[in-house]
Amino acid sequence: MTTGTAQPLKPLSLKKDGDGLRIEWNDGATTFAPFRALRKSCPCASCTEDVGKPIDPFRVLSAQEAAAGAPVPVGMKPVGFYAYQITWNDGHDTGIYPIELLRSLGENVSPR
Amino acid sequence: MPPPMPGQKLELPGVKYIIAVASGKGGVGKSTVAANLALALHMHGQRVGLMDADIYGPSVPMMFGLGLVDQTKTPFPIEKFGLSLMSMGFLVDPNQAIIWRGPKVAQAVGSFLGQINWGELDFLIIDLPPGTGDAQLTLSQAAPLTGALIVTQPAEVSLIDARKGVRMFEEVRVPILGIIENMSYLVATDGSKHTPFGSGGGKKLASEIGVPFLGEIPIDQMVSTCGDSGEPIVRKHPEHAVSKAYTELAATMLREVPKLTAAGLPAVDLG
Repeated sequence: MTTGTAQPLKPLSLKKDGDGLRIEWNDGATTFAPFRALRKSCPCASCTEDVGKPIDPFRVLSAQEAAAGAPVPVGMKPVGFYAYQITWNDGHDTGIYPIELLRSLGENVSPR
Repeated sequence: MPPPMPGQKLELPGVKYIIAVASGKGGVGKSTVAANLALALHMHGQRVGLMDADIYGPSVPMMFGLGLVDQTKTPFPIEKFGLSLMSMGFLVDPNQAIIWRGPKVAQAVGSFLGQINWGELDFLIIDLPPGTGDAQLTLSQAAPLTGALIVTQPAEVSLIDARKGVRMFEEVRVPILGIIENMSYLVATDGSKHTPFGSGGGKKLASEIGVPFLGEIPIDQMVSTCGDSGEPIVRKHPEHAVSKAYTELAATMLREVPKLTAAGLPAVDLG
């Protein structure tokens, strides 16, 4: 009683590794996605709207954003069966990253 | 307890299986199927809850002979015919329209799931509103759904929308348990079988997406008469052909649902 398609792509384990996320997948692959790339590709409505817009030189960073430094997730929890929601150290937490996006943002690396 | 935030995962530790009954199109008898299936499962000795997630057009109160209740005095869920029931129709006058934007609908659905003490249940059946909107998305994201049943009519026009419902569940990776074809045929007084909406649509959809076809439920005036009078047909006339179709459907679910092993996603180690 499942959909007749092949086994869907699924992460088996997700672990912080230095400045990125190492993910082991059910198809045997292991990927590494830098946090910077994940933060930059946040799929939430406000971030996707900002893509393509010129940078506003007068935008004042919030105290949390200014103090954050390099992007690091402070929380990452599953959303249903299909995605993860990341809370970043700059306070941003509206991005829901589907499994396929997490896979596409990572580079294949050799498993440990 | 505060209402759940969007995206917040809800835990229902006392509920074994959470099944969403969905359709892309309205008017295919989804609420009737949900109510009768819930009762049929109960008749198989299961502890069953029925949550009406159709915020704008709740139908559970009428089908169970209930109405508006005093929410300060009534503990939810409400017990009737052995089922635990929750519906927006218990809270808002049926003559009053609910004119809400999406986030409020999502919040109400989240509250029904997370703030009501469903207790120990084998099955929680969720009657979804038609379409692929806020209620569906909230449930797919926040509720630990075991799977979804798709209700359709045999007609092609109904299949178009049912496919959209299927795609939505695929997108959020909720397993599709199977397709139920409602209003498949009617049996005339002379015993002849008629198919006013065509035939074979449900089977076609099931084979197209590679999921089981769970059965055909005939049209019978008795179904709506029972629903309108506040006692679904499965309970009022358990020997009726339609009731037997539901009993068989419940037996199939009891056999197949435990085989589902849609394990959730692993936790992240942020060290």
